[in-house]
Amino acid sequence: MIRAHRMAGAGWPRRAMMRAMISILRRLPRSALACIGVLAALALLAMVGPWLSPYAPEHPDWNALSAAPSFAHGHWLGTDAIGRDTFVRALYGLRLSLLLGFGATAIALAIGLAYGASAGYLGGRSERLMMRGLDVLSALPFLLIVILLLTLFERSLWLLLAAIGGYVWIDLARVMRAEAARLREQPFVLAARAAGANTMQILCWHIVPNLLGLALVYASLLAAQAILVESFLGFLGLSIDQPSAGLGTLLQEGTQELDSAPWTLLVPAVLLVATLACFQQLGDALRDWLDIRGAANAGGPSADRSRPEAAPAESAMPATGA
Amino acid sequence: MSMPLLMLRDLHVSIAGAATPLLGPLDLDLGAGECLAIVGESGAGKSLTTLALLGLLPPQLRASGSLHVDGRAIALGSREHIALRGRTFGWVPQDALAALHPLRSIGAQLRETLRYAGIARDATRAEALALLDRVELPAADALLARHPHELSGGQRQRVCIALALATKPRCLLADEPTSALDPRVGRGILDLLDALRRDLGLALLLVSHDLPLVATLAQRVLVLHRGRCVETGATAHVFSAPSARYTRELLAAEHLDAAVPAQTGDVLLSADDLAVRYPRATRDALAPTTIALHRGECLALVGESGSGKSTLARAVLRLLRTPTRGRIVLDGVDIGALDSRALRPFRRRIGVVFQDPFASLDPRQTAAQIIAEPLRIHGIGDSAQRRQRAGELMQTVGLDPATLAPGSMDPAVMDRYPHQFSGGQCQRIAIARALSTDPELLVCDEAVSALDARSRAAILRLLVQLKRERGLALLFITHDLDAARALADRIAVMQDGAIVETGAAGDVLSAPQHAYTRALLAARPAALGAAV
Repeated sequence: MIRAHRMAGAGWPRRAMMRAMISILRRLPRSALACIGVLAALALLAMVGPWLSPYAPEHPDWNALSAAPSFAHGHWLGTDAIGRDTFVRALYGLRLSLLLGFGATAIALAIGLAYGASAGYLGGRSERLMMRGLDVLSALPFLLIVILLLTLFERSLWLLLAAIGGYVWIDLARVMRAEAARLREQPFVLAARAAGANTMQILCWHIVPNLLGLALVYASLLAAQAILVESFLGFLGLSIDQPSAGLGTLLQEGTQELDSAPWTLLVPAVLLVATLACFQQLGDALRDWLDIRGAANAGGPSADRSRPEAAPAESAMPATGA
Repeated sequence: MSMPLLMLRDLHVSIAGAATPLLGPLDLDLGAGECLAIVGESGAGKSLTTLALLGLLPPQLRASGSLHVDGRAIALGSREHIALRGRTFGWVPQDALAALHPLRSIGAQLRETLRYAGIARDATRAEALALLDRVELPAADALLARHPHELSGGQRQRVCIALALATKPRCLLADEPTSALDPRVGRGILDLLDALRRDLGLALLLVSHDLPLVATLAQRVLVLHRGRCVETGATAHVFSAPSARYTRELLAAEHLDAAVPAQTGDVLLSADDLAVRYPRATRDALAPTTIALHRGECLALVGESGSGKSTLARAVLRLLRTPTRGRIVLDGVDIGALDSRALRPFRRRIGVVFQDPFASLDPRQTAAQIIAEPLRIHGIGDSAQRRQRAGELMQTVGLDPATLAPGSMDPAVMDRYPHQFSGGQCQRIAIARALSTDPELLVCDEAVSALDARSRAAILRLLVQLKRERGLALLFITHDLDAARALADRIAVMQDGAIVETGAAGDVLSAPQHAYTRALLAARPAALGAAV
């Protein structure tokens, strides 16, 4: 199978990337694949699910207030006290939570990777300065600042994205710095310096590409954290609720109807737990797989697994594939 | 030898579920007071053999075969087999620092092991002192309280041997016991192992890739190649009249021709009173040193680890983050004083090759990208031209894409990643990268030390050829005197951050002036020809 796609690949970067993606997916542990599958299913459900139901998320159905789940009236998972469909509202909530999760993670990834890689590679005084900056940032009372921001300015998706993204990147930057500092002393980086590469070239060609694997593992943990933070803010009534509410807001509403309509709490709770558990498990599985604490494997598992056990002689090529 | 202590028949080691074994079939006999050496290149299955004997294979591997100890059959993996550890087998590891517990004192570790052997608690201290005395460690009393990181590499390895002896084994399995050590120190360890074999009648199973070393120590030798035993017999016989082709190749790789002195030109690179002191260090890592390298010449810097030879090379390359003192002059320009921007044009004129062939290539880049990177850095050519140049360079260093991938089946040799090449091939890629900007000077920092004997010989031949054909000047840093002899026109010997002797290669090696140089030469195992 490997041979087949290798023969097909003649072009350079894009094909290589596709091949790398496929081969990584093929080698992933089963638990990670399962998590990716469940997350993809959840995302798909959040995108197309609401179309399956005739009801709109904010539209009250006066004929069915606090209706129990039933197929008869089309409210499959029931309604809340003012007749809004739980199924549709929960999926819209999931949509918002996932959007915020991915968006904030992307922001955190971009900032954290750039900041951590630069700090780790530069070393010396600039590194110390940058890391003290991080310490100051993580010492700030985050919740207080978010509450201030959300009350001072108009609540919007962008503000929320920036607030959450601006919070979760700090840990990522620390991890990236440590790894970049290790890469800095690797002979291949020395070789690039000896060839005359400048700081930007080394960062872009060597440091960042080698950090990506580790960054992606952390990204899945960050996504869980971002979603949790959003739900938390929503639960406090600080997230956005127009046009539709996030899972945290729904949970908060659900707690008030616990006696009359427990499904309004249960449905968003199940979705939130499933999403968080998947991201967390994915991150753990990937971390075990890459064995991030083992410092010696610059090549990652791809290097470890596909190297033939018996090193081939100088003249013969290793038999990959087969 | 009537009844061998150890008799192993038809040993196979395979990955569970795989059809072809990683190792085997392998037969092995070992008598008391005898030294058997297992030789072969990395990946040949040498370590697997010792692990299988100890019953310490990783869980995904399965061993089969029959083991007899004193004529008694023992099933592999059985309780009896496990019970052989310590009582019959003592194990001497390759990396003593990793094998010792970093947080416990030497004394605590020895006494713990002695307790396993059933020594009463209050007798362990005296026993531990006796063991340290046995492995010829002086001042044993003070040593008991020390921790592994406070000892030198040689002392640590002796402690490991003492630990192995603590349970009074009858057979020592030594897995590359000296490959992490400097030759002089390693020599002492081997002499100790040999003395233990003679005095205590221990059987010694020595795993090594170092043939000259084996020749001086082992009575019998077993040559492994890709998991198979290709030849076995008395050491003298195998080395003087090898029957297997592979053994002949291995022996040929040990025999390196001495360099033919090259025509040299004017001074290309010189360092005047170059000195380095690392931050917070109390003495110079490199004492003020003056060297000069002529065009087309190879200067070998020889010394043990910590002698400052790599520091000198990196200082000359302006790769240290620590400021240096003194002048570095390349072709009349003091490059030591230039900032990194002004230095860039000079970077093109010096290529570098490092020790670890895998670590010196970015695992996320393909061979072609790696080789073409210096061109990309200096903005030479467009990407198609650079790729073509990378292909040419691969041919230059003996990695011909056409011969490696017959036909058009596989156009992707240039697009392979480093882990898809062997160590020797990776080092060729590193050399191709260093050559890509047509430098006048190549700096090789232990460039052949991490390679197997055959790869080492091949890379040295390549360097000799490049030097001759391109008139390259070489600064060749090594601890390997034979490699220096094969390549160098002149040799500078370094000790403790200073050059203690310098001269024409032949003179330094045949008539060393300095005591340290003589000690280095004495530590070298006798040449194979002399041993057989």
